[in-house]
Amino acid sequence: MDPRDFELLALLEAGLPLVSEPYDEIGKHLNLTGSEVMERIQKLRQAGIIRKFRARINQRKVGITANALVAWKSAEALDGTMGSLLASFPCVTHCYERLPVPGRWEYTLYTVHHGFTREAVRAEVRALARHIGARDYVVLFSTEEFKQVPNVRIRENGRLTG
Amino acid sequence: MTAPVPPDRTDLRILDALQDDIPLVPRPYAVIARRLGISEELVLERLHCLREAGIVRSISPTLEPQVAGLAASTLVALRVPDERIHEVAAIISSYPQVSHNFRRDHPYTLWFTLAGASAAELKGVRSEILLRTGIPDTDVLDLPTVRKLKIDVRFSFAHDDDQGGRDGPA
Repeated sequence: MDPRDFELLALLEAGLPLVSEPYDEIGKHLNLTGSEVMERIQKLRQAGIIRKFRARINQRKVGITANALVAWKSAEALDGTMGSLLASFPCVTHCYERLPVPGRWEYTLYTVHHGFTREAVRAEVRALARHIGARDYVVLFSTEEFKQVPNVRIRENGRLTG
Repeated sequence: MTAPVPPDRTDLRILDALQDDIPLVPRPYAVIARRLGISEELVLERLHCLREAGIVRSISPTLEPQVAGLAASTLVALRVPDERIHEVAAIISSYPQVSHNFRRDHPYTLWFTLAGASAAELKGVRSEILLRTGIPDTDVLDLPTVRKLKIDVRFSFAHDDDQGGRDGPA
């Protein structure tokens, strides 16, 4: 990472320009050619700094309005493998393991699901639960979005100095 | 102002194609267009509309939090009375450590994520939020991340189509 990379990532954060030759366009702001921009992106990707480079889509606006976080109690029979099993389902977009709050909230695994209707999401979660033999889970549908931004925003909270 | 036109099949196919990494070639939209059997102009024209409509937020890289110095993260749930939701949510959203903040259909009404350099930083932010909002500790669940097992956001846009196969494990 050099200062140019930082500037490049900051520009890309606003989005790849919607023009025929977007890397050339980005390069103009950095005094780089389009090829140099692509080389830098490739290196940042190889270094694991860029994890993905895709469209960020607001799924609610295309009708995917049933979005649920599901909290699972780990089934003892699965002996620590429940997380990777949950993660293996294509319908699961996120899967995290978290510490519980003993005595108040014993759930340790969290998955995220998206669908056009709550019923479709509930059915998907039920099928998943049946498949892996999990009984204890809670489905938390989102009803209002207050903030939804990328985890890392390079100027706002990034500390890319290395 | 004309009412927004709902996305059609072409839009959905473009959105679907954009769920894969954008090609690192001089004309990436032309590559996507070729894949879909449409013109580059049409892809760009639709993308402008999709962005205008807020359906595409942006085409941008997702950065690795660890590399960005965000070594610690947690999910916090608060029991907030309905009439205070918006006021409390606004305070929470104002912190740069917060990336996701949702109301959910549950007695714990507000769920937000915190990411920062250390657990201590997150604890500091959480304490400050509780102090500013007056939410008692007994109405808080703090659920620190132990492991990220999967992050792969991919939507199935065609809801009329058969979705068989999406129920089983990969």
